[in-house]
Amino acid sequence: MKQDYIKFPLHLIFHPIDAFWDLKSDNRGRLAVAFSALVLTIMIMILQKQYAGFLVNYSDPRTLNSIQEILTIVVPFFLWCTANWAITTLMEGEGKFKEIVLATGYSLIPLILIYAPMIVISRFMVQEETAFYYLATTIAFIWFVLLLFIGTMTVHQYTVIKTVITMVLTVIVMGIIIFLGALVFSMLQQLFEFGYNIYRELIFRT
Amino acid sequence: MARTVKRWLSLLAAVSLLLVNAMPAAASPAPYDSYNYNYWKEAVPSPDAYLPQRTISGSDLGIGEFKDPGDMNVSSSGQIYILDSGNSRIVVLDAKYKLLRVIDGFMLDGSKEAFSVPSGLFVDENEQIYIADTGNSRVVVLDAEGNLVHTITKPESDILATDFQFQPLKLTVDRVGRVYVVAQGVYEGIMQFDENGQFIGYVGTNKVERDYGEYIWRMFSTKAQRAQMVLFVPTEFSNADIDHKGFVYATNIDPGSNEPIKRLNPSGEDVLKRFGYYDVKGDIRFRNSTGPSKLIDVKVLGNGMYSVLDATQNRVFTYDDEGHLLYIYGGKGNQVGTLKTPVAIEQSGDHSLVLDRGKSNLVVYEPTRFGSTVNQAVTLHYQGEDTEAVHLWKEVLKLNANYDIAYIGIGKSLLMEKKNEEALGYFELGMDRKSYSVAFKRHRREVMKENFGTFLTVAIVAVFVLILVRLAVKWKRRRQIDREAGLH
Repeated sequence: MKQDYIKFPLHLIFHPIDAFWDLKSDNRGRLAVAFSALVLTIMIMILQKQYAGFLVNYSDPRTLNSIQEILTIVVPFFLWCTANWAITTLMEGEGKFKEIVLATGYSLIPLILIYAPMIVISRFMVQEETAFYYLATTIAFIWFVLLLFIGTMTVHQYTVIKTVITMVLTVIVMGIIIFLGALVFSMLQQLFEFGYNIYRELIFRT
Repeated sequence: MARTVKRWLSLLAAVSLLLVNAMPAAASPAPYDSYNYNYWKEAVPSPDAYLPQRTISGSDLGIGEFKDPGDMNVSSSGQIYILDSGNSRIVVLDAKYKLLRVIDGFMLDGSKEAFSVPSGLFVDENEQIYIADTGNSRVVVLDAEGNLVHTITKPESDILATDFQFQPLKLTVDRVGRVYVVAQGVYEGIMQFDENGQFIGYVGTNKVERDYGEYIWRMFSTKAQRAQMVLFVPTEFSNADIDHKGFVYATNIDPGSNEPIKRLNPSGEDVLKRFGYYDVKGDIRFRNSTGPSKLIDVKVLGNGMYSVLDATQNRVFTYDDEGHLLYIYGGKGNQVGTLKTPVAIEQSGDHSLVLDRGKSNLVVYEPTRFGSTVNQAVTLHYQGEDTEAVHLWKEVLKLNANYDIAYIGIGKSLLMEKKNEEALGYFELGMDRKSYSVAFKRHRREVMKENFGTFLTVAIVAVFVLILVRLAVKWKRRRQIDREAGLH
């Protein structure tokens, strides 16, 4: 229990190449961990906007909206997983959808581990020390991207260059999905409008 | 019985009426909506800082209507000089807005000379009048009685083109008599003349703002095409004023500029302080169809404050020496207090005067309780009397709880009194991160100093306990091993 849910994720962020392989081949990844990481990331992001120290907190308290915060993380997360799955299916990736979700979710762990203490520490910082805050958050983000990169590479058994290309393509596909989604949505809306108008016409004719 | 009760009740009602303070009727509600910008760059309503008191037209003075008045200046002795350009005359009023005299020309070599479309005017400390006589391409200097002192005509200099047309528009004069002239079609800067009228050179040039899109486009065009393109030339200045230290404040009307107001030091560099949350450029939010503020006049109010006049929305913006926007008044319209085509802004005592060319009159504004309190507080702050400014800032906050500068002002004073923790709250309300950091640093150090002893004690005890626990665990384990080995 402890082994899979706490020790392994912590081992993974420091030894990603071995651990992602274990995650794939030994079936050691747990979806519960990936989704908890997602939920925690959302919570940390909301907490950061609300409680980070005055000197580093530039968000307007009147515009904070937790639902929006949730959407800005959950939507890209699943969009990434879907787009990545779609593109790697075509590019002979060996990863299953579940493994992609696992790899993406586990990659979020450093964000949580670094952001959480930084929120507290930033409340005790003065202007000159905020540089460390930005340094830490940048490191967290780079770490996250690096894990995502190694995760994608290991899960799909790609070479480095192919991984880079896949990741870029994934981002492009994410855009295409959004575009198609908007298109379908607006078409459905027009269809609905059309049907509703016919219905109204009929109602008023009779 | 019922009658006495009734009588008592009516008496009570009468007394209660007397006790209610009869509020003085508002002088005149402003015909414009006052506002100011907050930290988030939103325009939020604000109490009026200045209210229109009266207007003065030529017929009020009994000298016939003004015709296209062009400029105005208040001398250090308090006389108000109005340049009535269309009638080529100068109207002089005293501080109570009574007519003193009219100057409609001067004697030159025994014959009477008149002005031709003069557009600028300045009166120096010796009550000498400087007139930018645009139509006659000269600057006329008259003494207090209206006698000619000298004229400044088209300068001769190597740095001027041979076909140069000298058309002075606005001018200002420093203490030693150097004349700063804003001339038409001169984009090199403000022309500077010495006290004898000799051309010295230019001060302060507006920087050319490079449009990189245009730049790339230019790389691909042919020579003939390039010749037809718009030239990148700096914009001209629109007006100038001078403070008591000899720094020239100048405005320009470049619509794309974020620094339309400049404070030029003697070597011509811009040294205006811009420490506010946003650019010192009048309105920071505006509709695209209306466009940004077009600043056409600047008036140094003293104590670091200055007002600029915007010809787009006909408003007056006043800033303090650090570049904080203090208040905004005026607006477009035909009522008393709104403006049609404002051309000049001046200050007479605590009144503020705006000359309106469109309506050919002079609008007199007087500060409200809010406006004068802000002025006093800013003055005290400028003079370094922050502690005395505190109660004024508190009054300002009673009138306008959104006034960030007041929070910062109180915070700074608390900081000086070493009340760091209290200052923190004020700086947070005023969104002043820099001062907050200073206050927090001191507060943190204090707290650490106070609690260092306790902290160290706790830490030592904790380490001690930890060591004990470890020893205990070890000892226990060893005992167990010994027992398993059957030693006990």
